[in-house]
Amino acid sequence: MPQVPSTRVEFIAGLRAFAPLSMSILPFGMVCGAAASTAGMTSAQALAMSWVIFAGSAQIAATQLYAGGAPLLVILATPTIINLRFLMYGASLAPHFGTLDRRRQALIAYLLTDQAYALTVVRCAQTTDRRNLHWFYFGLAGATWLCWQIATIVGVLLGSLVPANWSLDFIVPLTFIAMLVPLLADRAMAFAAVVGGTASVLLVLPLRLNLIAAALIGVGAGLAADRLGKRA
Amino acid sequence: MSVADAAGSDVFVWSMIVGIGIATFLIRFAPLALLAHLDLPEWLRQALRYVPPAVMAAIIAPPLFFVGGAPTIGPELPRAAAAALATVVAWRTRSTWLTVVLGMLALWGLRALVG
Repeated sequence: MPQVPSTRVEFIAGLRAFAPLSMSILPFGMVCGAAASTAGMTSAQALAMSWVIFAGSAQIAATQLYAGGAPLLVILATPTIINLRFLMYGASLAPHFGTLDRRRQALIAYLLTDQAYALTVVRCAQTTDRRNLHWFYFGLAGATWLCWQIATIVGVLLGSLVPANWSLDFIVPLTFIAMLVPLLADRAMAFAAVVGGTASVLLVLPLRLNLIAAALIGVGAGLAADRLGKRA
Repeated sequence: MSVADAAGSDVFVWSMIVGIGIATFLIRFAPLALLAHLDLPEWLRQALRYVPPAVMAAIIAPPLFFVGGAPTIGPELPRAAAAALATVVAWRTRSTWLTVVLGMLALWGLRALVG
């Protein structure tokens, strides 16, 4: 009979799982920090984005909308729609973390990221006794959080020093490309991405609602492609 | 910028950060806390799968074609070409660093050639 992995073993396994992630989280966090400070936020505000919100795509979207002069309601609504995917992650983790006390659940919720979710699901599949799975999660997600905060600080400090003609803002789409491409597990996902991207370029909507509209159109396209693919 | 403007923009930014922070936390917390009462319908689960690719592509695409909001495809050709190359690099290597470094080098190289 396999023993319950100790909290320490699980925590360290979580830290180990984090190590390769640092390669993608560091540049992305730096970009978030640099983008926020070049968009005109104070250093305190740029850093607060990372510890109050702690969600990279939402931070970048909010920063771009803010720089483009979007109204507050649109800036609030867009990242919220982007973050709706966390509902799915939370629902999928709930069977494992649903019995923990509220304080731990709140901490788990605050630390939830795409990466923490994905690797916890992998860990889940590898272990039979999951009573200490939350310690794996704390190791993984805690290290991710720390890495994100450090990267943001570096981004805020360096962002203003770099001359504009180096076009370092181009790192934003590049990091997103690096995250997006491995996500495209099937044709319907790729179709959702192509349609979402095209729609955001072609749509001209007031109040900078393009991003929300393009995202919804892309999701619709993915669903439609999925249906058609199954029927064929 | 006048003092009043600066204070107004300060309030704006903090409202934005705190507002998004609260909304994000609630979205993350609700499914864990309401486990017994919340069972996402299948169609919603399906739809949420497509949110990350659609959103990311929608964030990536516009700055490749527009400068300052105006559709000016000509001058941004180096960006679009460098992004296409970065996509191939990301696909083949799955490495964030390689994608970023080669993408930036491609952009600078193309700018030098065009410019």
